[in-house]
Amino acid sequence: MDYFRKYLSTPQGTAGQPTGVETVERLVDRVQSSTLLDDRRDAVRALKAMSKKFRLEVGTQAMDVLVQTLETDRSDSEITGYALDALCNVLSNEPLDDDDESNMPANLPGDLGAQFTEIFTKKHENVSLLLSLLEEYDFHVRWPTVKLLTILLTNKGKDLQEAILVSPMGVSKLMDLLSDSREIIRNDALLLLTQLTKGNTNLQKIVAFENAFERLLDIVRDEGNSDGGIVVEDCLLLLTTLLKNNSSNQNFFRESSYIQRLTPYFDLDSQHTHSQAGWSAQKVTNLHLMLQLVRCLVSPNTPQQQVTACQRTMFQCGLLKQLCTILMASGVPADVLTETINTVAEVIRGNLQNQEYFASVMAPSNPPRPAIVVLLMSMVNEKQPFPLRCAVLYCFQSFLYKNEVGQSQIVTTLLPTSSDANQITAGQLLCGGLFSADSLSNWFAAVAMLHAIQDNGTQKEQLLRVQLATSIGSPPVSLLQQCCNILAQGGRFQTRVGLLQLLCAWMIDSPITVAHFLANTANVPYLITQVSASDSDENESIVQGLCAFLLGITVLYNDEQNETFNKSSLRQIIEKRIGLETFTEKLSQVPKNESYTKAAKKPHVSYKQSSEVTFDYEFTRIFKALEVDALDAVSTDAGRKENKAKLANLQQHELVVNQYKDIIQEQDQRLNDLQQQFLELQSKHSMSGEEIRQLKDQVQQLKDQNSLLKVQKGAQSNPAADARKDEEIRSLQDQLEKMRLDNANKDSAIEKLKTDVTVLEARVVNSSEEDKENIVPSESEILQNTISRLQSDLQELRTSAAEKDNEISRLSVQNNEAEGQIQSLKQRLESNAETQADPAQLAKLMEEKMTLQERVKKSNEENLKLLDKFNKMEEEKNSVVSEKEGVLEELDTLKKEQEDLLVLLADQDTKIANYKKLLKENNIPVEDDDDDEDDDLDDDLDDD
Amino acid sequence: MSYAYLFKYIIIGDTGVGKSCLLLQFTDKRFQPVHDLTIGVEFGARMITIDGKQIKLQIWDTAGQESFRSITRSYYRGAAGALLVYDITRRDTFNHLTTWLEDARQHSNSNMVIMLIGNKSDLEARRDVKKEEGEAFAREHGLIFMETSAKTAANVEEAFINTAKEIYQKIQDGVFDINNEANGIKIGPQHSPSPSLPSSSGGGAQGSGCC
Ligand SMILES: Nc1nc2c(ncn2[C@@H]2O[C@H](COP(=O)(O)OP(=O)(O)OP(=O)(O)O)[C@@H](O)[C@H]2O)c(=O)[nH]1
Ligand SMILES: [Mg+2]
Repeated sequence: MDYFRKYLSTPQGTAGQPTGVETVERLVDRVQSSTLLDDRRDAVRALKAMSKKFRLEVGTQAMDVLVQTLETDRSDSEITGYALDALCNVLSNEPLDDDDESNMPANLPGDLGAQFTEIFTKKHENVSLLLSLLEEYDFHVRWPTVKLLTILLTNKGKDLQEAILVSPMGVSKLMDLLSDSREIIRNDALLLLTQLTKGNTNLQKIVAFENAFERLLDIVRDEGNSDGGIVVEDCLLLLTTLLKNNSSNQNFFRESSYIQRLTPYFDLDSQHTHSQAGWSAQKVTNLHLMLQLVRCLVSPNTPQQQVTACQRTMFQCGLLKQLCTILMASGVPADVLTETINTVAEVIRGNLQNQEYFASVMAPSNPPRPAIVVLLMSMVNEKQPFPLRCAVLYCFQSFLYKNEVGQSQIVTTLLPTSSDANQITAGQLLCGGLFSADSLSNWFAAVAMLHAIQDNGTQKEQLLRVQLATSIGSPPVSLLQQCCNILAQGGRFQTRVGLLQLLCAWMIDSPITVAHFLANTANVPYLITQVSASDSDENESIVQGLCAFLLGITVLYNDEQNETFNKSSLRQIIEKRIGLETFTEKLSQVPKNESYTKAAKKPHVSYKQSSEVTFDYEFTRIFKALEVDALDAVSTDAGRKENKAKLANLQQHELVVNQYKDIIQEQDQRLNDLQQQFLELQSKHSMSGEEIRQLKDQVQQLKDQNSLLKVQKGAQSNPAADARKDEEIRSLQDQLEKMRLDNANKDSAIEKLKTDVTVLEARVVNSSEEDKENIVPSESEILQNTISRLQSDLQELRTSAAEKDNEISRLSVQNNEAEGQIQSLKQRLESNAETQADPAQLAKLMEEKMTLQERVKKSNEENLKLLDKFNKMEEEKNSVVSEKEGVLEELDTLKKEQEDLLVLLADQDTKIANYKKLLKENNIPVEDDDDDEDDDLDDDLDDD
Repeated sequence: MSYAYLFKYIIIGDTGVGKSCLLLQFTDKRFQPVHDLTIGVEFGARMITIDGKQIKLQIWDTAGQESFRSITRSYYRGAAGALLVYDITRRDTFNHLTTWLEDARQHSNSNMVIMLIGNKSDLEARRDVKKEEGEAFAREHGLIFMETSAKTAANVEEAFINTAKEIYQKIQDGVFDINNEANGIKIGPQHSPSPSLPSSSGGGAQGSGCC
């Protein structure tokens, strides 16, 4: 707590005003010491009121007492609510919405909430306490409890997650909140559960086990799906949190047939016929989240088995159909449409059935066109938003992924035989895009075409047949050559990298394509020029690297039919014109590029802006697989060895780094394992400790039994038994002696009380007389003093009476015990008498027993008398109290005559400071330590 | 796929006794020879038929490691059936049964059906716990008992199905309150009209296979 001290030592308030520290201290004191609930409630309410402005003070001084209130005064929902509110204010880092922020101490540490949270959660039982408070139905308790838990989770998520995880039924209690009929609680519970499960797989699973999916889906449905309000949004957020990257939950979600329940979300037609006001901001948000929910079940980074199963279900339950309907609907906001396209992409990716369905979707245009064509039109249209165009490419790629039929369908539309002048085809659009003036369209079209032939030798050959009519009069040019021509013209960067990636992919595994490429004698010199040029900037070095890669491929897949450019001649040219070293360096530039690493991460086309567009995901995979082979291919036999070394050198760095990464990971794993083992050992250790303890206990018990047996064995006719009896009797006598002494003490205490009472009486009489005489303000002080003295005396009386009570009950217990012992002794004596037959001893024992009983009886009587006395005392006390009341009444009249004092005394909630100040105005000197008594006096006055 | 009832199961027992293997054998009909330590809890599901009724089993396979105990405890309440597994080649796993049982009884609903399973019955040569001992323990504590092998699949189906039969019987006898989902039982969707399907895909076979 030292940490806070420096902030607390603020200077004293002006004009004797009590500082926050003092006030809080006094309030804490009152909560702790007051026996009246009303009193404590007022004090806690005051603490709550102060908890914003004096956050630090209340947090440091009152946290314990507030928590304690939650425990002890739980039955009073009002005080519990105040305590919870106060804790919320103290722990929350949220800025205050009050306008008196100028009053806030400016030097508070920013992470105060986190610090207090740490202190609060250090005790796990505090968290359990809050969880148990959730069982209270009262709004004033349940709501702030939910808020407080949310604040704790926001400030110290990990700690609290652990605490809730280990508290039995903790999650169940939180889940039960979702059935609360009060909307505000249910909604806050949603936020709470989202915070709770963030990044914690175990909690996500437990929450799912507690039927979260069903309940959330029910709420979304009941709220009108995407037309619902923020509750729907919160439900969807929680659903996504539970499912994202949690394959166990995804499996559970699918197995429970919940995917089927997502379908109606995308049934926009039936949801709103009132199309005008259809797209509120909330609806757009809801739909985004609904689409994301679908995506987290089928996104490419989830286990393949899972994805396939979900995709199948999404087709069967009509979800895909609904999504495709949105795709073709009119009036859908562009960002919703974009996300829908991305979602369709992932629902169909790599799943033949879904891909075929997608290909069959027709747009309701005139004439009807395939959805694919309509989408491609947007992709190569530079007026369309950039994210939409990216989404279309992603969707198109997903359609072609592992789909030879689809690839052939696309390539066929490029071939001369199928050309139908009136019909716009995918092929036409791709060609148009490839050679349009918009470099981004060039890139999109090139990459799209790459996917149409990827891993498909047949289509690569087919594509070679494509001829283009460039200008009237001149002979048609092949698509391949046209690509090279444009490349040679040195267009914009994105045009060139797009075309180069297409050419690379086209020639891989396809010697015939390479042959076509080499047939034009201008092509190789172009590549050579590029690679041998000194690189000027990052973009150029990428182009040069790609050219190097393409050169390597022409060697690698060379069919040796072209005499000018067979393998060995190409090698020689490269060595002579470029040099292996330069070649290697240029090649290695490619994977070093940031845009390469980014694209290699995942298939999703996710560029933030158009200038980032460089590499395609599939191409990065091709490059990775063939980089080494390409380099090998261009090396002459002699240089191959050396080259390998160089390459090794180049790759060594990466390798070493990777190795280190592996080692670190391994060590991490080992560390985890060891920690695991350590935990196990620890628990084993404590278990063994426990066992040892139990064994020790057992040994002790056995020993005891043994010695008991020994004793019993010996007792048949053994003086040892008699000795034991003697001893018991002696101890009983001792006890009696002690009781007697206690009694005497009590007597004297009672005596003293009596005198006290008399003195008090006298004083009361005195003071009441004085009261009558004194109407001057300065003398009212004396009156007050007397009364407070009287009160403290009374208090003493009360406590000593209570003590008496205790003593009496203790005595009677002892008495009972003594009786019991005597009884058992008697029995034992009787039983012994049979076997032992020692009449003299027996008689003596009987006698002693009798005397003992006698004594006990006497002590009982004494106790009764004591009780009597006590009752009398009570009566006396009561009369004193009533007399006191009389006095107070008189005082009241007095007060009425003195206006200032009346205000001063009548308002119990007025701060003591005011009281003092007022008194000062009346020229009554007040000492600080009188304050508490003044307080009490006020209370008593109000009690009347 | 529609079902008449849905039962939630948990599988508990010491680490390495073969809980995950039993589940895998039941859902995928595969055996996994390496110990792939379960972290926390994993989910699996399968459809079975009892008395001509389709019953969906949702199974939570828990980690046996001591350090996960506080997590796995959260799954006891809400389960209708539990498979309590020990390894017949390791006596310590048998000795720990009492602890497991206490834990289960304390945290679950009182009607939970518990099936005691002595697993790895294929390793007869290394047997460390007699079948009779398992039977005696089960009798003493009112459990059903079976020896299984997740490797050869011997009795694996039976273990899961007999547990379901027992739960089913309890439902017939009115012991279970099927309207309280906290008991780990759910009634299937009442033959609702099937959602409109795209193109031709019909209802498909509703065999016993898993999804
Ligand atoms: N021979 C044989 N081996 C088995 C059998 N069942 C499981 N095993 C082997 O026992 C080891 C542990 O199996 P798991 O199913 O992973 O154990 P677990 O109970 O899930 O362990 P935790 O996840 O740590 O709680 C594996 O190596 C299995 O191959 C069986 O019936 N016969
Ligand atoms: Mg396991």
